[in-house]
Amino acid sequence: MLRVEDLTGPTPRPVIHDVSLAVPKGATHLVIGPIQAGKSMLMRHIVGLEHPVSGRIFLEGTRVDGAADSDAQLRRLRARLGVVFEGSALISRLSAVENVELPLLEHSRVAPAEARHAARELLSEVGMADAAERTADALGRSAQRRVAIARALALRPPMLLLDEPTQGLDAHAAHEVDELLRTLQARYEFGTLIFSHEVRHAFGMASQIYVMAAGTIVARGDREALEESENEVVRQLLHRRGGR
Amino acid sequence: MTAPDAASPPMTMAPAPEPEDRTYGARFISRGRLAARALYWLGWLSFSRRSVVTSGVEREVYGLGVGALRLVASASLLVGLIAMFQVAAQLAPYGAETISARVVAWFAARELGPVVVALLVVARSSAAIAGELASMNASGEIDALRAMGLDPVKYLVSPKLLAVIVVLPALTVLADALILTGVWLGSTAFLDYSTGRFIVQLRESFVTRDIAVGLGKALVFAVVIAIVASDEGLSAERRAAAIGPAATRAVVFSLIGVLAADTIVNAIFYFIPGLI
Repeated sequence: MLRVEDLTGPTPRPVIHDVSLAVPKGATHLVIGPIQAGKSMLMRHIVGLEHPVSGRIFLEGTRVDGAADSDAQLRRLRARLGVVFEGSALISRLSAVENVELPLLEHSRVAPAEARHAARELLSEVGMADAAERTADALGRSAQRRVAIARALALRPPMLLLDEPTQGLDAHAAHEVDELLRTLQARYEFGTLIFSHEVRHAFGMASQIYVMAAGTIVARGDREALEESENEVVRQLLHRRGGR
Repeated sequence: MTAPDAASPPMTMAPAPEPEDRTYGARFISRGRLAARALYWLGWLSFSRRSVVTSGVEREVYGLGVGALRLVASASLLVGLIAMFQVAAQLAPYGAETISARVVAWFAARELGPVVVALLVVARSSAAIAGELASMNASGEIDALRAMGLDPVKYLVSPKLLAVIVVLPALTVLADALILTGVWLGSTAFLDYSTGRFIVQLRESFVTRDIAVGLGKALVFAVVIAIVASDEGLSAERRAAAIGPAATRAVVFSLIGVLAADTIVNAIFYFIPGLI
């Protein structure tokens, strides 16, 4: 589904080095690491905002790391990749339903009325039907995150990227977002790659966890494997400084 | 479902934010490009039935225009009174203060109205526009839009440009009316004009052409303000500390831009015979 091979970038001063990962269809993988570990830069490469120095990125078998060179290619990539950014990144002056219908109007040929209907259904699925007409800046963080998830899923992408999806949320709201993602993933079977520095988040959801530090992946494995890891970064992240 | 949208200007790679010490040439080129893209999307907005941006424009108009009503109204009234006193004082030695209303009315429509409104909008909204965009840049929201294939110029700059284009001429008409009200107040209360005489002077000096020139200037100023403020916001560095300087630069360059544009327009009217 999503495969990153030996990625080094961006041009001209690389921040991440030789990063490789693969997220199969329907799976949830997690990239964790301290702040400045290179997680966001990795995500920027995957969504085509940065040029890699070397390495390759494949989405559903199609190479997309050169997407930023071609307008048409970039648009196709964006239609197949849902992205929930840190802070939600909604357009504050537009209503929730307008934010969700934007990708449909931008990347598909559905009629405006159909797009509006689809956007309302999606908002309903994420529990935001009642807030459809409220402007994004009038919504709370948790509500904004739900709307951002609905917007990311508007084109039914096979792959969803989430950058710090629970940052700024309290434990209850974070749990609700996790549950929502689980429900939606079961329904639509999209693969998920989560970037987070909060270890508690999604640790249980992810079948594979990558630990990043200083721009490279220093450890990988499932939850049990990482809990057994002797890697210093992993131990610090898991608050097991004493180690075994 | 996933066919690409119709023809649109390229947005392949996120333009890297430029440092604060851009050269004037770099700023000029950046603003030229931004203006071209924003005007392209403005045309698209005007005709597309697929746009959700129109409701955003309504909110921008409300924020930029309705919110500025009281400021523009009170300032314009005071400017009318000030202009009346100044002109009357200058004309008094020649015994010509009786034509003060006539002079100010003509000047109000062509110059005072559009310039006062533009400067007030710069003071009130330039920093807000640049600050909003710089803040979105710092928090990664601009990149987020690009990553989703949503052109920030289309969804953020064009609505602001359209809103300012709508708001500035409308406020200019209001300002013209209130400057004249100020002139009327000054001339009737302090120069012993009768209202009837004021109206006669007004009709002799004030022609539709003067209002049209003033509104034309307002349109030019609107484009200058929206583009300069947006460019400073979009090209701010991606850090919170860059928001304040971006807002300050937006005000400074918008002020200079408005006055430079006004100078050029006035020079054109002066040097091309028959235009005035």
